[in-house]
Amino acid sequence: MTEHHHDHDHDRTVKPMVDEITDFEVLEIALRELCIEKGIFTAEEHRRFTEFAEQIGPTPAARLVARAWLDPDFKSLALAEPMTASKEVGVDWLEPTGFGTPSDFTAFQILEDTSTVHNVIVCALCSCYPRPILGNSPEWYRTPNYRRRLVRWPRQVLAEFGLYLSDDVEVRVQDSNQKHRFMVMPMRPEGTDGWTEEQLTEIITRDCLIGVALPKAGVTTNVITATRAAMHPAGD
Amino acid sequence: MDSEALTQIVERNQVWPRMAAKYGVENPVPPWKTSLDGLCDALDQGSCGTTAPSFQERRDEEDVLSATVYSDLPYPENQLVSLAHSLMARGIVTESELQQKLSAIRARLEA
Repeated sequence: MTEHHHDHDHDRTVKPMVDEITDFEVLEIALRELCIEKGIFTAEEHRRFTEFAEQIGPTPAARLVARAWLDPDFKSLALAEPMTASKEVGVDWLEPTGFGTPSDFTAFQILEDTSTVHNVIVCALCSCYPRPILGNSPEWYRTPNYRRRLVRWPRQVLAEFGLYLSDDVEVRVQDSNQKHRFMVMPMRPEGTDGWTEEQLTEIITRDCLIGVALPKAGVTTNVITATRAAMHPAGD
Repeated sequence: MDSEALTQIVERNQVWPRMAAKYGVENPVPPWKTSLDGLCDALDQGSCGTTAPSFQERRDEEDVLSATVYSDLPYPENQLVSLAHSLMARGIVTESELQQKLSAIRARLEA
């Protein structure tokens, strides 16, 4: 009998999965099928939007910032013509999915941080977010708690993400809406001299592009933050 | 708006954090999340000129319901159940339709 040499790890190649059908999974399919049966949208439309949701992420935005850090001309382009600069990292704001996203069309602007100005984005009204270039918003971004408190007490909320800014740094909260989206271009951190675009892209996390974190050499993950319920929920 | 089907789903509490822990799964969100994203986008696009909730109505109702009736559910379960609630409150989906659909889909998936 041939010995089975383990040059691969079964635990890694076969990830565990939830081996039962949950009510929520069934409910999602049920709503979708009922909407299709009632003619609200087609199965094809749903499939295309789902593919869009599957493939978006923060990498194009990170790459755009990394390139801007390395190339002053590209940085000027990014600030003056953000739609054109986005195209160079593979995102076409006018046709982000190739078939249109009604809640995503927009004017897009990149907010440059300086040594005296720090930008952070929010959607006070709902949860508008630069999805084509930054992917789906994190859960906390959608919460009324973040949305309401950030515009009133930005330093306090940023501190909850572990971001403490000195008093001589002005904090600008930029409120997105259905027609206007923003992302932040943070400053290049110390300790990254000689880095490639690839290396820089890795430390420009989603949170840095929202403005709740600053890029730092060696840090490639987002802040994990508790999601808090609103103290004064809508409708109160 | 009271829905027996939705109440039962909330009470059974098969929420992703619990199911993932039970099976040792690490994904932070359930596998149906992107399909729900697609559903919301398709609905936002298709709602124009129909009785279906608009983007703004859908999000406003989700915020209110997630903070009140469905405050025990995590995200995105609260988004999903709030959406079901919004569709039922408008009569776009009825209780009996939903009940029948849920049974038929579960039977299909467990066949």
